[in-house]
Amino acid sequence: MTVAFGFLTGMALVSALGVVLSRSVVHSALFMSGTFLAIAGFFVMLNAPALAAFQVLIYVGAVTVVILFGIMFTQRPQVRRYRTIINRQFWAGLFVAAGMGAFLSYVLWIEEWPSATAGNGPREVAAFGRDLLGVSPGSEIFVLLFEVASVLLLVAVVAAIVVSRRKSGGGIDRGVEE
Amino acid sequence: MQTALNVLEAEPVRLLISFGAILFLVLNLAGILTMAERKTAAYIQLRFGPNRVGPRGLLQPAADVVKLFTKENVSPGRSDLWVFLAAPIAMFIPAALVWLVIPFSPNAVVADLNVAILFFVGITSISALGVVMAGYGSRSTFSLLGALRGAAQMISYEVPLILSLLGVVMLTGSLSLVDVVRAQGGGFWHWYFLPQLPMFITFYIAGLAEVKRVPFDLPEGESEIVGGYMVEYSGMTWALIQASEFASMGLMSAINVTLFLGGWQPPFEFLDLGTFNWFWFGLKTALLMFTFQWIRWSLPRLRMDQLMDLGWKVLVPITLIWLFVTAGAMLIFQEVF
Repeated sequence: MTVAFGFLTGMALVSALGVVLSRSVVHSALFMSGTFLAIAGFFVMLNAPALAAFQVLIYVGAVTVVILFGIMFTQRPQVRRYRTIINRQFWAGLFVAAGMGAFLSYVLWIEEWPSATAGNGPREVAAFGRDLLGVSPGSEIFVLLFEVASVLLLVAVVAAIVVSRRKSGGGIDRGVEE
Repeated sequence: MQTALNVLEAEPVRLLISFGAILFLVLNLAGILTMAERKTAAYIQLRFGPNRVGPRGLLQPAADVVKLFTKENVSPGRSDLWVFLAAPIAMFIPAALVWLVIPFSPNAVVADLNVAILFFVGITSISALGVVMAGYGSRSTFSLLGALRGAAQMISYEVPLILSLLGVVMLTGSLSLVDVVRAQGGGFWHWYFLPQLPMFITFYIAGLAEVKRVPFDLPEGESEIVGGYMVEYSGMTWALIQASEFASMGLMSAINVTLFLGGWQPPFEFLDLGTFNWFWFGLKTALLMFTFQWIRWSLPRLRMDQLMDLGWKVLVPITLIWLFVTAGAMLIFQEVF
């Protein structure tokens, strides 16, 4: 268990450093998928395989691939090199990162963890789904959040269609519609 | 003897042994499928196919493996070497991992996850990453074009693929593949391909596109972009890409059999073989893999816009409509389910 934890932690940290230190955008994106996979591993260790599967499906399978796809479509990825760690936003970035770290440490420090061992609590998929839909008692707030999130996604989808739609008459005909 | 068996069944040992067995199965499957592919092609085109090595050419895969092992592994001079070399691994691992959750026979499943279907969907979505890595790492125009096509195709067809699974999940009320197979017991008229026929067809087509087989092999497109994302590979890295393609083709067939064609359930109850029910699973999977090859040597390739039209304008609406039909039927005939 400890070995697995150490391995996953190392993987997450090394990949996270890779994201900020590597000078190619594509490498950063690939390192990011490594971090996501390590976090999915943490979810498995915490007896939450459903959450791990969602993490892999959404973050590794969808977000990273779409980012890479966007990079490759919009620019020639080999040519561009960025100085990612020392640039004009260094101080702002440092401030945000340190503030976030301090906040998280503070929350983790003051919070009581009475019975928080791994695998404690309702982690079945069915109960998870009922909580998400606000059917089970005490979880009514989640249905509101769920609906807000889906409305947001719907807006994003409609906006994407509106932005990418070709205007009739004007515009360049690329021959192939996608 | 009994204690030895108990040691073998204890947890870390059992997982290691079954992992080795799965790896053995997947690698051999890839070898045998290359052979089967060439033989099927030959018989469909009225040729003999490979017939020199061993009886009727059956040892050809072994000769191929020896050849590929001894071949030099060339990488382009301007390539991004780490990404270039990691890409075949990133393609092969997902194809091999999903076999862990497939029930081969009543008690033969490596990991009976309660979210096995979700696991399958999640791991399948990673394999697009391998294609993008191969295309980017090679730093060649053909590779990049192939990778772009591959990523677009795999992301698009994931939507109908996932939606077509939901009908089975609704009918079973479980995300575990073992439960799905158990719910299909008692003769072939209980298998889900009858009540879920549109979903079955959609899953089959989307599966074909997901493993990039003809008629959806635009990422390879030999006649236009030479070989797509695998142009620059040679030797064992190329062999690993091929192995992962064949392994994921077998995997798609196996998942299709498990979800829609009853898994290890025999077609009639009196044909029940008990522990040896893996025979039925293997037979059905092999038949499906044969249809994949049959299609490959019979159909021409689609165009990119036709591919996208088929995915988004035909398959997605079909699955959405059939989801509503399934839900309505379950509501009306509540006592049956």
